[in-house]
Amino acid sequence: MSADAGAALELRGIVKRFGTLVALDGVDLSLERGEIHALCGENGAGKSTLARIAAGLLAASAGHVEARGAVGLVHQHFELVDRLRVWENVVLGREPRRGLRLDASAARERVRSLAAAYGLEVDPDAVVETLPVGIAQRVEILRELAREPAALLLDEPTAVLAPQEIDALFATLRALAARGTAIMVITHKLQEVIAHADRVTVMRGGRVVMRTATRETSLEQIAHAMVGGDVPALAARAPTVARPAFAARGLRAGSGAHALREATFTVGGGEIVGIAGVEGNGQTALTDAIAGIVPYAGEMLLDGRPLGGSPAARIAAGVRVIPQDRRREALVLPWSIAENVALGDQTRPPLRRGWAIDRGARDALATEIMERFDVRASSIRTSVASLSGGNQQKIVVGRALAHAPALLVAYQPTRGIDIGAAALVASRLIEARNAGTAVLLVSFELDEVLALADRILVLYRGAIAGEFGRDGFDRARIGALMAGAA
Amino acid sequence: MQEFAGFLELTLIKATPLIFAALAGVVCERAGILNISLEGGLTVGAFAAVAVSYLTGSPIAGLAAGVLAGAVLGGLLGFAATRFGVDQIVAGTGLNLLAAGGTAFGIVVLFGTPGASPEVPALGARGEAALIVLALVSAIGLQLGLDYTPWGLRLRACGESPHAVRSAGLDPRRIRLIATLVGGALAGLGGVFLSLGELDIYSDGMTAGRGFIALAAVIFGRWTPLGATGAALAFGALSALQFVLQRAGVPSELMQALPYLAALAALTGIVGKARAPAADGVPY
Amino acid sequence: MSARGAWLFAALLVAAAAAAMALAGANPAAGFFALVRGALGGEHQLSETLVQTTALLFPSLAVALAFRAGLFNIGAEGQLIVGGLFAGVAGAAIAAPAWIAIPLILAAGAAGGGFWGGIAGALRARFGGNEVIATLMLNIVAALVANYLVGGPLHSAAATGAETPELATTSWLPVLLGGTRLTVAFPLALALAAFLRYVLDGTVFGYSLRAAGDAPQAAARAGIDLGRTALVAMTLSGAIAGLGGATLVAGVLHRFNVALSPGYGFIAIAVALVGGLDPLRIVLAAFAFGILQSGSLTMQALAHVPKDTVTFIEGLAIVGLSARHFAGRRREAG
Repeated sequence: MSADAGAALELRGIVKRFGTLVALDGVDLSLERGEIHALCGENGAGKSTLARIAAGLLAASAGHVEARGAVGLVHQHFELVDRLRVWENVVLGREPRRGLRLDASAARERVRSLAAAYGLEVDPDAVVETLPVGIAQRVEILRELAREPAALLLDEPTAVLAPQEIDALFATLRALAARGTAIMVITHKLQEVIAHADRVTVMRGGRVVMRTATRETSLEQIAHAMVGGDVPALAARAPTVARPAFAARGLRAGSGAHALREATFTVGGGEIVGIAGVEGNGQTALTDAIAGIVPYAGEMLLDGRPLGGSPAARIAAGVRVIPQDRRREALVLPWSIAENVALGDQTRPPLRRGWAIDRGARDALATEIMERFDVRASSIRTSVASLSGGNQQKIVVGRALAHAPALLVAYQPTRGIDIGAAALVASRLIEARNAGTAVLLVSFELDEVLALADRILVLYRGAIAGEFGRDGFDRARIGALMAGAA
Repeated sequence: MQEFAGFLELTLIKATPLIFAALAGVVCERAGILNISLEGGLTVGAFAAVAVSYLTGSPIAGLAAGVLAGAVLGGLLGFAATRFGVDQIVAGTGLNLLAAGGTAFGIVVLFGTPGASPEVPALGARGEAALIVLALVSAIGLQLGLDYTPWGLRLRACGESPHAVRSAGLDPRRIRLIATLVGGALAGLGGVFLSLGELDIYSDGMTAGRGFIALAAVIFGRWTPLGATGAALAFGALSALQFVLQRAGVPSELMQALPYLAALAALTGIVGKARAPAADGVPY
Repeated sequence: MSARGAWLFAALLVAAAAAAMALAGANPAAGFFALVRGALGGEHQLSETLVQTTALLFPSLAVALAFRAGLFNIGAEGQLIVGGLFAGVAGAAIAAPAWIAIPLILAAGAAGGGFWGGIAGALRARFGGNEVIATLMLNIVAALVANYLVGGPLHSAAATGAETPELATTSWLPVLLGGTRLTVAFPLALALAAFLRYVLDGTVFGYSLRAAGDAPQAAARAGIDLGRTALVAMTLSGAIAGLGGATLVAGVLHRFNVALSPGYGFIAIAVALVGGLDPLRIVLAAFAFGILQSGSLTMQALAHVPKDTVTFIEGLAIVGLSARHFAGRRREAG
């Protein structure tokens, strides 16, 4: 790769090792001034690691990073101080001073002028944790822009935005690029790549496998390069007749910006109901209320009977939840696969025998799940922490389906896992639906919801803004409702 | 009236080591380090001050030594917590034992007999008063510093979200280490007051759990310098009352137990649900 | 910590100890020799070492149990004291044949310790109160309460110091080896360790407890009641420590006074960590520390090395070991 004097950011031969794991295996990438460059790849391909190295937050094991100025990075999961104000977050590390004092009014002014210059309106005095997710993202962008970077990297920036907000963001990025900043967007949403990026680089297994201008390629080619083959197909949907299973009436939970304000809906056995919405509109409050781990108002019915009580009671009644964060909320990372499989069912036979855990039954269940869900691991004694995200998620889903639940709540079931595992998980959800389980799918990926659901409910600011049957899925209309249109 | 002045004076004397230790606790916890080795900091500060005063004849040198010793102990916690990601509570417990054992050992080695040191040149009434003033001034200074200076902002950010601090281009580990050094120095000052300010000797166990009362003061004071100082003054007043009430027949143990019982009550949230810094005690 | 790291760390501790001894004007080699001789140099010495091992084993198992549940029980010392106090009071009040008196006294100790641990557990379960602060505060309150009671209301008229009346000889724990202080407390502690190991690894209760400690959010979603687990774990932990205090009262001192424990509850933290929070390995660790404890007195007498050197080294050990077992065990909020 010849050295390009115009490049805002140049990465040469980047290698990164974590112990024996090679995350990046000799990556070259150059980012030109004024371009929007997309970086694509499966989870685990090394994109976030590369971005952190480029921004100077992580040291490479080998290779060079050359930048013609500061490199800003907007993280996928914001790295803001929630309890501080917007202006405090934006000027952190670059605080304007008057003597020994922090010059708060100068800081506020700086935020206002930056916000105006880039069209990212935000109240400087707002406390970050009160902000909706889309606005909070602006704060992080402003913080990076305050450094007047030569290159601005954004890691999955559209994951938390409604379709209309995504367009607005790219308009902002295009304006930034026009002023000379080099923009790199890490994304797995290939439509965005084709629509907005000038060039695209695809990574797989820590290496660059494709590098081209977007107008010279297609979505299918990019997907093919990401997976290194064809994307596996989903299971077929069997014709089913939804019978009454789960009903929520006047459900309210949580407080503040991300509360569930009012939800009344049903999920039938044999159907997948998809909750579409941007992150932060009450999805977590909704799923937590169904799981029974937060207080709520309103009522829920399962198979005609009131559903209530502790999480243990709900599990016993046949409710299974696949939570959003498998590492913290579903698995005990240091434990083996076998021990994890028992979690949730340890108080009942067959896994329980008197005082003790029935090891034989537990191991048999673990083996069965590993086979049915194609979990790649040496044995059921393997520690779950050493598995890939995709294999971890397969265990979580397998465990949830193992006891034929009446209601399955799947919250972001394919988040952060490779395409093959995502296809398997999605297929298993469809198969459960075919077999009569009531499935509530909550996902921030509109495409996933469109692909899997029989009915879609749009959740906006904690209330259901619209309902669509499969025959009437209107992507534009759904997107508008997700963004708050009337 | 004279009795009241005397009571006030005694309150300040009893409160000063608590104020120093509580300020140390606030600085560390606001940066994200749950420092339960405040007791150890008081201990080594008190001992080092007496030891150096004994060896050099200068109580001022003793004061400097006490501050340094406290800073070193605090630095050990900070270093362990930031370089090795140790569990701060366990490390703090270890440091307390280390301080207790080390100072008891030091008494024997330095003074020949276990238990206590001989009398050494001390700071006198003037020095005692100066330290009391220093404690109160430090409280105000730290409150202003936390709220109005860039370093205060960075420290507070560290205690809430070290990741955010890192993204802002700063090094949260360095900030936390500095916090433990400053905190340790403050705790050391508290110890100096005990041995060279209020008295002129060091004896085994003279800190008597003040480092733990200071933790209670931090909670009561909702992790702010002025709040913790107010709580420390309240505890000092309790301590001063002890003598009065003892003559009235109240068991001294009950009086001594009051700060700890108050801290336990604080845990029930009676004092209000002020939240600790979000990253308090969480390794980065 | 790798095996190499462990050896390096142990070597560092030995070097620190040697330096301390030299500083005290003693010959390090003589110091270590006196330590080992004092701990293992004969039948009587070995029995004393086992007495110290037993005294450490109870609170160490208590600390480990709580730690496995994700709770920092820094209050084993206070729970041990309260347990000993209850045992002393019960012992002074009971005059009955051994097979009635001894279990009652031990049960009283467990009840006392369990009550003391339960306070911290309740504060955590009901109010989310930090158990580190709670147990630290309760340690001091325990000492003050014991001081007051033994100096006043429970004072033994027959004794010169502040202590409870001596237990009737029928209430003394049977001695295993004639002429020594080694009692049935030792096999009792071993049995307890084996039992705890089984409970933790094989029972539903142990499974839930470990889940609450290793992944609290996942455990809560799996139906495990975190508050109840915290309360039960702290109560059990306190009860085990209290039982240890009772064995000291019934087996070693035959009464309760405030000098019951030279800090066993704190050293227990080091023992629990060295033992990797596993009950069976803790037995070995307790033996190692028992050697330190019993040998330190001989070390002081013969080689003129202050016994506080051992406390210092134990503190150093805890600091160094704090990295080992908590690197993977993040404390979750809430």
